[in-house]
Amino acid sequence: MAGQVMPALGTAGLVAPVNSMGAFPSYNATKGVLEGWEKISGEAMAKLIQERGGNTTHVGCAQCIVHCSNEFVDRDGKYVTSSLEYETIWATGGMTGIDDLDTIARLDYLCDDIGVDTMSTGVAVAVAMDAGYREFGDRAAAIEMVEEIGKGTEFGKILGSGPAAVGKRFKHHRVPVVKGQSIAAYDPRAMLGNGVTFATSPMGADHTAGNVVGEYLEQKLDPLNAQGQVEASRNLQIATAAMDCTGLCFMAYVALGTPEAGGALLKAINAKFGTQLGPEDVPAMGIRVLNAEREFNKRAGFTNQDDRLPRFFYEEPLPPHNRVFTIGGEELDRTLDF
Amino acid sequence: MKVRVQLYGTLSRRVPGYRHTQGIEIELPEGATVNELLAFLKIPESQGAVVTIDGRIQKAGDKISGGVHARVFQSVHGG
Repeated sequence: MAGQVMPALGTAGLVAPVNSMGAFPSYNATKGVLEGWEKISGEAMAKLIQERGGNTTHVGCAQCIVHCSNEFVDRDGKYVTSSLEYETIWATGGMTGIDDLDTIARLDYLCDDIGVDTMSTGVAVAVAMDAGYREFGDRAAAIEMVEEIGKGTEFGKILGSGPAAVGKRFKHHRVPVVKGQSIAAYDPRAMLGNGVTFATSPMGADHTAGNVVGEYLEQKLDPLNAQGQVEASRNLQIATAAMDCTGLCFMAYVALGTPEAGGALLKAINAKFGTQLGPEDVPAMGIRVLNAEREFNKRAGFTNQDDRLPRFFYEEPLPPHNRVFTIGGEELDRTLDF
Repeated sequence: MKVRVQLYGTLSRRVPGYRHTQGIEIELPEGATVNELLAFLKIPESQGAVVTIDGRIQKAGDKISGGVHARVFQSVHGG
């Protein structure tokens, strides 16, 4: 099934379910649903690309069998950018209140051209908008702001330094970062386990460090109930740290969750390196990585107080569920306490 | 009872003439479950279908009320 959906929609297929779960941080994480999200969904993007004669899929990486990438084209069928991804659409669309794929594609192109991350940049624009610098939803303003990074203006230098720098510049309280790193497209108040990962990952608020969304979609866990979230985040952070050691794409290791695929990968690793690794060695490898990262952070001056979400996630309820983040400091400290 | 359904991912290809803005309106027996909704739509388990109603993911055995708007997705993630 992923073999049909990924080439058809790419990772943008997540825009619809995450909005439908009220967990799509929008307007700088003040709402969990973007008005007009259907205009920037994976389904809408695929239809637009097809109508304009672009490619909804292509081989983004050599030897890949997933084909999650795409080539976005303009009204004249001219290539604009590749690939428009879920997280990019969220950061430059959801967070900024911009429900227009052409603007999002232009922002993606600019970020690639300048050499800045689309997620950090989109969220930095959103923080500036929320602080009153420009209005949410102002397409031209968002493009001008990102162009300023390329020009190296005073504001552009701040914006290009990411959302934490923008928050400091405007003395704005609502800055969705952990350890200076922007959150990703899953609001911690509507997907509590992702909040645990954002808070505790040694890399900062990183969706690739232990993304719990699959547990919710597969109905293994209730996203709004605190029970089981720390354990889910911990297990996924361990598994992800281990799999990152292999250099395999995230898409591949979602599939490795099955015993057949996991067993086949171990056989391949053992054959290549002449090792005798068993299933129990995989989590041990993940824990070793996380311990090394945490030790690095400790020596760099980080404490457990850095393993916390920004205060507003605990204080400002997120519509439509109107929940706050409810997992306390002691529980967060348990997450990676091996 | 009537239920409005919108299909996402590649599921809409299963319904000839599907128009997304309208979705489809289907008639189910009172007290029908999520599983019965999926069976009515002829969506097999292999499609990894996920149903949300009012912002919450529904379990297979959950009963559906009349007049609701159900969205049906495929459980694919990454990004």
